[in-house]
Amino acid sequence: MDVFFQQLINGLSLGGIYALIALGYTMVYGIIELINFAHGDVYTLGTFFSLAILTALGVSGEVHGIALVGVALVTILGSMLLCGIVGVLIERLAYRRLRNAPRLAPLITAIGVSFILENVMQLWRGPSPVPFPQVIPNPSFALGGVEISAKQVLAIGFAIVMMVALQLFVTRTKTGKAMRATAQDRDAAQLMGINVNTTIAVTFLIGSALAGAAGFASGVYYGTTWFFNGFEAGLKAFTAAVLGGIGNIPGAMLGGFLIGLIEAIATQYVPQGAQWSNVVVFSVLVLVLIFRPSGLLGESLPEKV
Amino acid sequence: MRRSPVLARLGVVSLIAALAAGCSSSPTTSQASSDASASAAGTTIKIGIDLPVSGADASIGIPTRNGAVQAIEDANAKGVPGGFKFVAYDLDDAVQGAHDPAQGAQNVKTFVSDPAVLAMLGPFNSNVAKAEIPITNDAGLAQISPANTATGLTKGDDAKKLRASHPDTIAFFRVNATDDRQGAAAAEFARKRGFKRAFKRAFIIDDNETYGTDLSGVFETEFRARGGTVLGHEHLSRGQNDYKALLTKARALSPDIIFYGGTTSTGGGLLRKQMGDAGLAKTAFIGGDGISDQEFITAAGDMANGGYFTVAAADTTKLGTARAFLAAYKKRWHADAGPYSANAYTVAQIAIAAIEKAIVADGNKMPTRAEVLKNVAATKNFPSPIGSVTFDANGDTTRPILSLYEIEHGKPVFVDQYVAHT
Repeated sequence: MDVFFQQLINGLSLGGIYALIALGYTMVYGIIELINFAHGDVYTLGTFFSLAILTALGVSGEVHGIALVGVALVTILGSMLLCGIVGVLIERLAYRRLRNAPRLAPLITAIGVSFILENVMQLWRGPSPVPFPQVIPNPSFALGGVEISAKQVLAIGFAIVMMVALQLFVTRTKTGKAMRATAQDRDAAQLMGINVNTTIAVTFLIGSALAGAAGFASGVYYGTTWFFNGFEAGLKAFTAAVLGGIGNIPGAMLGGFLIGLIEAIATQYVPQGAQWSNVVVFSVLVLVLIFRPSGLLGESLPEKV
Repeated sequence: MRRSPVLARLGVVSLIAALAAGCSSSPTTSQASSDASASAAGTTIKIGIDLPVSGADASIGIPTRNGAVQAIEDANAKGVPGGFKFVAYDLDDAVQGAHDPAQGAQNVKTFVSDPAVLAMLGPFNSNVAKAEIPITNDAGLAQISPANTATGLTKGDDAKKLRASHPDTIAFFRVNATDDRQGAAAAEFARKRGFKRAFKRAFIIDDNETYGTDLSGVFETEFRARGGTVLGHEHLSRGQNDYKALLTKARALSPDIIFYGGTTSTGGGLLRKQMGDAGLAKTAFIGGDGISDQEFITAAGDMANGGYFTVAAADTTKLGTARAFLAAYKKRWHADAGPYSANAYTVAQIAIAAIEKAIVADGNKMPTRAEVLKNVAATKNFPSPIGSVTFDANGDTTRPILSLYEIEHGKPVFVDQYVAHT
C-alpha cells in the first residue's frame, strides 16, 4: 500500500504543475474561445525568467529563513510580471486583429507564436537542458512508509492557492465581473460600458502570470528546464482543461490533478506502464468526453471565464 | 554520440528559427578539400576522409580527422613505394551544424568518381554510415570507420540489405566495438568486475529508440546469463520528463543497479537526476556511450557523480601501444588527442598499408581499388596504437575493447577495460 500512496503523492505533485498551466488555458478559452497554444511556451518562458531573476539575485543554491521568503517572492512576482507582459503582447500583436476572423485563423496564429517562443528560447539558452538552482531546502517527511518532499508539497499547495485566488478574483472583483460578462456576450458587455479590449488583455495578463508562477514551481520541482519543456506539459495541461470542462476554473485544477494521478498510477500498475501511461490518460479523456462532452465540471457551472 | 542525437523535431524547429530570423547560419563549406596542391596525376594517391568537422560535432570530429591526417603525413615522411605521394581528401558531412546522412552519401560519391581515391576513412555517425555503405559496396571502395557502433552495419540481415549491389563483398570495416558488445560489457562489469561489489538485482530502462532498445536488450540477456536477476524492463515515452512514478515503481522492487539504454537527449540525464528525488540516490546507475557526453553531467547535476557508463573504445591514456602516438599527436596539433584520434590513426594506417602492399605487388604501378580492398579485408595482427587489429568475415575487429568510466566530481574517470575476444 505504501507504494500506492507514494504514487498518489507523485501524481498529485505532477498534477499540480499541470493544473497551474491548465488555469491559463481555461481562462483564455473561457473568454474568447481561443485555444492559446502558445500558453505552454509562456510557461517555459516562466522557468527561464525565474532562472534569470535568480541569477541576477546571485542565488545558486539553497536559501534559508527570511532570505528564502524574499528570494521566492521576488522571483515568483518577477516571473509572473514578465510572463504577464509577454501574454498581453502576444494578445495585442497576434490575436486581437483576428478576433472576428474565422476560428481557424487565430488557432494557426497561436501555433505560430508557440514556434516563435520556442525558437527565441532556444536562441537565448541553447537547445540543451539548463540546470535550475535548488533554492528551496528539500527535507522529506515520512508518513508511514510514504515520503513527501517539500518540493512536492510546494507543487500541490501552489496549484490550490492559485486556483482559489483566481476563483475569488473572477467571482468577487469588478474586473472579474467584467470578464464574466465579456465571456457571456461580448457585444452586450460592450454596450454596458465594459472595455472589452482591456478586459481581454487583463485575462491574458493573469493567465500568463499564472504560467510564470508555474514556471517557477516547475523549475524548483524538477531542478532543470529546457526550451521544449512546454510542449508536452502544455499538451497535458490543455487536456486537463478539457477533462475538467474548458472555461471552468475548479475544473482545470481537478483535470490537472486527475491527469497527474492517472499517469502515476498507470505507470505503477500497468505492465510496461511508463510507455503506456499516456495511452491510459487519453483513453480516460475519450471516455469522459463520450459521456460528458463538456468535461467533468463543464455543465454544473455553465458560467465561463 | 554516434547516432543522430537531436530530435527530428528540433531540426524542423531550428529551420523555422532560421527562416523566422530572416537569415541562416553561414553555409558550411563542406566541399573544401585539402588537395589543392596535389601534384601531377598518376603520382598522387588520395585517401578520402569523411567526418563531421563543423557545428556541434566538430569537437569530436576534428580530433578524429587530425588522427587520420597525421597517419597520412607520417607515411609520406617515411616514403611511399613507387615514388607515390598520399593526399588526404577531406570532406565534411555536417550540414547546418550537425552530421547529415545525405551529405555523407554525397561526399562518398565524390570520392568514388575520383579515380585517384583508393580507400576512404569514416564516417563518425552510424546513420551516416548507413547511407554510405551501399555506395562504397557498389564501387568496391574500401571504407574503414574509426567510430560507428550500430551492430546492424556489419552483422545480420540489416548489414546484408546495405550490401545490395554485391552482397558477398565486404567493403566496410571498423576498428571499434559494436553496441551488442557494449551491452555485454556493461553486464560483465556489473556482475563481475569494475565495481567494488557485484550487483545482483537490475532494473532496466530504455528510451524506446533503436540504439537504446538494442543496448538494453543485450544487457538484459547478458546480465541474466551471468546469474543476475532482472526485476523489470520499462521504456520511456518520448517527450516525457517526469520519471518519478517510474522510479518509485523501480524502487519498490529494491534494485541494486539501474541500467539505462539510450542517450542523454532522450531522457538519460533527467532520469539520473530524478533518482535522487525518488529515493534511489544510493542505487548504482550504468549506461552506454549514449550518456558519455558533457550534456549528461550538466543535465543530471550533482546526481551525475557516481554514475557509470561504457564507451566502445579503449582509453588510449591507459594503452602502452598508444603512448608514442599520443605524444606525436600533441606535438603535431598542439592539443590533446580526442577519444577517437587513435582509432582514426589506426584506420588510416590500415588503408595505407593495404595500398602500399598493392603498389609493391604491382611492380610500383598504381594499384586498383579491388586490390586495395582485398588487402584491407586480409588485415591480420596489424600493429597499431590501439593494439593488434584483425578483421573478421563481417569486417569487424576481432578484439573489440570497451572501457568503463565513473563520473567523479563532474568528470569521467576511467575505471576498467574489457576486451571481448571473438
